[in-house]
Amino acid sequence: MNSTDKNSRAEQIEIDASAKWPVLIFFGSAIMWLLLGGALQLIASIQLHTPDFLSACAWTTYGRVAPAAQNALIYGWGMNAAFAFGLWLMARLSATTLRHGGWLFVAAKFWNVGVALGIAGILGGYSTSFELLEMPRYVTLILLVAYAMIGVWGVTTFSIRNTENVYASQWYLFGAAFWFPWLYAIGQIMLLKAPVRGVLQPVVNAWFVHGLYGLWFVPIALASAYYFLPKILGKPIANYYLAPLAFWWLVGATAFAGGSRLIGAPVPIWISTLGGAANFLLVVPVVVIALNFFGTLAGNIAAIGSSITIRFTLISMIGFVLASVLNFALSIRGFAQIVQFTLLTDLRDWLIFYGCFSTAMFGAAYFILPRLTGLQWRSSALVTAHVGTAVLGVLLLTVGLAYAGWTQGKMLNDAAIPFGDITKAMTFWFTFRSVGLGLLLIGHVAFLINFIWIACPINSRGTPSAQFSNPPDLKLSNESVTEGHA
Amino acid sequence: MSSSPDNNYRFEQAGASDDSIQQVHAQLQKQKPDKKNGYSFLPLGVLGLMCSSVFFGSIYLAHYSVRFDPLVVNESAKREKPGAVVVTAVPPAVLGKKVFTTICAACHQVTGLGVPGIYPPLAGSEWAQGNEERIIRIVLHGLNGPITVEGKDYTNAMASLGTVLKDEQIANALTYVRQEWGNKAPEVKAETVARIRAEVGPRTAPWTSAELLKIGQ
Repeated sequence: MNSTDKNSRAEQIEIDASAKWPVLIFFGSAIMWLLLGGALQLIASIQLHTPDFLSACAWTTYGRVAPAAQNALIYGWGMNAAFAFGLWLMARLSATTLRHGGWLFVAAKFWNVGVALGIAGILGGYSTSFELLEMPRYVTLILLVAYAMIGVWGVTTFSIRNTENVYASQWYLFGAAFWFPWLYAIGQIMLLKAPVRGVLQPVVNAWFVHGLYGLWFVPIALASAYYFLPKILGKPIANYYLAPLAFWWLVGATAFAGGSRLIGAPVPIWISTLGGAANFLLVVPVVVIALNFFGTLAGNIAAIGSSITIRFTLISMIGFVLASVLNFALSIRGFAQIVQFTLLTDLRDWLIFYGCFSTAMFGAAYFILPRLTGLQWRSSALVTAHVGTAVLGVLLLTVGLAYAGWTQGKMLNDAAIPFGDITKAMTFWFTFRSVGLGLLLIGHVAFLINFIWIACPINSRGTPSAQFSNPPDLKLSNESVTEGHA
Repeated sequence: MSSSPDNNYRFEQAGASDDSIQQVHAQLQKQKPDKKNGYSFLPLGVLGLMCSSVFFGSIYLAHYSVRFDPLVVNESAKREKPGAVVVTAVPPAVLGKKVFTTICAACHQVTGLGVPGIYPPLAGSEWAQGNEERIIRIVLHGLNGPITVEGKDYTNAMASLGTVLKDEQIANALTYVRQEWGNKAPEVKAETVARIRAEVGPRTAPWTSAELLKIGQ
């Protein structure tokens, strides 16, 4: 069964070479959107405590900037980064080159043109009224076709794999490749193309939003953690035999959990109840996945200090657990009654998207890009700045927004407090959020500079090259496993 | 450790090859963990967690879904099946009001004040609030004047209603009369009306006030 080390390394070089340009294009576009979306997000956040800020021009009013920021981050940064990471990992784990790079290049262009048109449409005042589907209808087809051209290569790469076995990361990537078009197409058709009536619209919208986070971004982040932990630590995933259970359970329950966003809404009560029950069930996969990840990390604390990818993976895992806890808490009616429509519900989505998904993609980028380009990251200070701002930003925003959301909810539920007073009391926390988002943006700029030094053909000339040693084979440790007993 | 500490995050060294990661985990997927004392907590713990989450999830769903009724948006809504007949007791005085306004009010008026000199008043009347045995007889068989009500004499006659009204209607109408317009007297039961109807037997002649005053003394 053992293949020789030299051969496997040579194969990997071939795979990395085939994936180089598509992945660089996707990562490059992703980082551009990350900065643009982050800037828009910062503007929107500042407008909540300084209402006059950039309010003179219709294009930069809060109602347009806030959805534009959200869409730029989700469809610009999030989707592009997921494509880059997903295609590369699928090729690596399927032990086959990424074919048809030219198609992927065209698809990447189409996707990014589609997103750019969509963001321009939102800023120009043509947004729709549905969360995360705000982009005007004319970009839908561009995005779906572009996605089809990207997703099909992920699936094709898997189906022509040269490996005997399939690994956990591949389950999540393969599944997510189908769940996104399913969610997006149904959301578009049922809300914009042939809209369902009245009360069904928020139901479909909640299902879509929850699905996009839970069945697209979370699986990609999990695929990354399942891969990088054994890859860098050189140690198998702890209690891996439970991973298939977690996978199916997570997928099955998440598909029904969307209704929990509608607690207290005037929709049939069973929909939000079903969502809440699904969130109760999600405790099982979250516990199993936490056992997998933290069990693998246990005893390898030193590795956290020496690997930047492991650091980001650790933030991502903590983000996943926190977001799951928050999701569970928000399905409890008594708690939702207090904190719904406060900063705490914002925090839930932000934790999934930034705390869990985005940090996983940063970690992946720090591992993947030197292999694709054969170069080192030029400035380790900028790398440290990126990871430092990410740790600090996630920590500050999580603690701050959780406390602020709770206070805000308490005040909103008190009929004696006028609404204006609540807004005034919240000014500090809105400012706090702007500072946190600004901090993260600084880290993203550091990431961009390092990315340009490693990826742009002209700017990367002075960057020293990286020498990769042949990785050793993973061993079954005797401690964790006995001989198979029937 | 494959990643040397002095690389300063400039690039990562891998600790395992992709190939071996897949092979080892494929093997791990089939194998259960070591049973150190012939007993392993984790699979049982996960099974317990699965069962309890399904159990509590189902109870929660059954309790708060309110029959999956598409029209119910509030978990504290009534939980009866739609179309179930709910019996609400209507007070006899309310039922009696209908009988009173269709029949009795023709002479005694809706106000219960009667017409001075012709039809005696019921509001404040000592007869209406007095012994129920007397007024039940009046309604059942009629009354031939003269009669003194609230200090005034009336000589008119009242028709018998015993064949027109059922016991329950008579009881309700009398209860209404005894509890309306400031009247305060206990309600009249349908059983009492039935008893008196049976006691008196077939009688066509109306009562006189002299006869009635003897009853219940």
